[in-house]
Amino acid sequence: MRNTLAIARKELNVYFTTPMAYVMFCCTTVISSYMFIAFIQQYTRYSIYAMKAPQMIDPTRLNLTDLVMAPLVGNIGIIFVFVMPFLTMRLLAEEKRQHTMELLMTTPVRPTEIVLGKFLACFGVVALTVGFTLLYPAMLQLYGGSAGAGAPVEWRTVFSGYLGLLGWGAATVAIGLFVSSLTENQAVAALVTFAVLLLTWLAGLVGHGAGEALQQVSNDLSSITHLRGMAGGEIALKDLLYFASLTVLGLFLTQRAIESQRWS
Amino acid sequence: MIQVENLVKRYRDRVAVDGLSFEVKEGEILGFLGPNGAGKSTTMRMLTGCLPATSGTAKVAGFDVFEHPLEVKRRVGYLPELPPLYVDMTVRDYLRFVARLKGVPRKKQKDEVDRVAGLASVTGIIDRVIANVSKGYKQRVGLAQALLGDPAVLVLDEPTVGLDPQQILEVRGLIKSLAGKHTIILSTHILPEVTATCQKVLILNHGKMAAYDDLTLLTEKYKEATRDVSLEEVFIKLTAA
Repeated sequence: MRNTLAIARKELNVYFTTPMAYVMFCCTTVISSYMFIAFIQQYTRYSIYAMKAPQMIDPTRLNLTDLVMAPLVGNIGIIFVFVMPFLTMRLLAEEKRQHTMELLMTTPVRPTEIVLGKFLACFGVVALTVGFTLLYPAMLQLYGGSAGAGAPVEWRTVFSGYLGLLGWGAATVAIGLFVSSLTENQAVAALVTFAVLLLTWLAGLVGHGAGEALQQVSNDLSSITHLRGMAGGEIALKDLLYFASLTVLGLFLTQRAIESQRWS
Repeated sequence: MIQVENLVKRYRDRVAVDGLSFEVKEGEILGFLGPNGAGKSTTMRMLTGCLPATSGTAKVAGFDVFEHPLEVKRRVGYLPELPPLYVDMTVRDYLRFVARLKGVPRKKQKDEVDRVAGLASVTGIIDRVIANVSKGYKQRVGLAQALLGDPAVLVLDEPTVGLDPQQILEVRGLIKSLAGKHTIILSTHILPEVTATCQKVLILNHGKMAAYDDLTLLTEKYKEATRDVSLEEVFIKLTAA
């Protein structure tokens, strides 16, 4: 436990004394702000259509939670696919290249402690990034209300969406950490992580046009299905289990990868 | 303190270390000699639990390196060939981090870091970022790291590489002063270093033990009728084949 915290602290130190964490915050918020504005504009257009032609769009179904926040959470999930590889690529690859893995291997530290320490630090940065994007629902809450229309944002749905984001974030970190443990080349680690994350995102495509059973399976394998479910406000056990099992699998494989250096 | 029996390391088609056996008693300094690629570093990495042996056993303080790695790692300070430094950290942060990993109690960490920094003479640069200090300092920060936690056994892989003559003398003095309290294995291909610091010498050639004896006995053994021989001559004789 002590060692885990020592390693986590050192990793956080690296993230925050190098530009890495700040670039991560900046890129993610800039891109998601752009998307936020786009969804707001779309919402405004829908409102105008609804006023002109209420028979086409039911005005009572128009709300900021379903038309801005839910799709925004899904899109932040996609941003993760692109930015996470850069956050995780150096975690273990760098230790090998700089020969500092020898230090970790010759001090009384268990591989599990190395893995957990690295995971916690990286997940901390991810959680902070997700925290920054809470600005969007906060802004909607402040400026999105109209007299007599009730709360502009349904916070329970927002909470469930953010829980999904954290789950997806944890899964991406664990996957990236594992890939990083396999190579000492950071570019390779980033590229492979990106490919794996994108594949989980696109897994649902395989099933299109196939039998119903296959379609169901490929949908359930896809991370987007699970994030969408939670962004829509439904905290389902299967979604939480999906993210949890991806995370645990990634961490377990990383632990094995490090342990195996002692054997072969 | 250290017992090695029939240690073998084989990489696919190449044998790096071939049936090595030796023993280092508590408080002794053993000099590891050999040409480049003789298997010095490989043996040291196996002793510290960094690299598994193909066969044979290595024990430190009675604990098998493979069976009880944590017990061994608690007792060994290791300076690898390339000092394992996080170049983005300051020397102080780095030493603090390693002290934590080595389980130095929280309250003693500061004093312990100051102590080893003093021993390795890096106090003057302790708040500088490692990437910006000279090679000699990097090497000594690596040495300071090995001394953290006052381990019973020190495994030092070419500890004086990259140092200037003055610093070499200092580090040799330091290593000598550590003898008695610590058991030390030291590898080098600078022969005077061995004469200056070690009592026992092990000469490796192509992974095999070429000689293993007290320094004085070794030069005695190869003495020629007419004159004394230096360690250098013994070394060249043994590794020429």
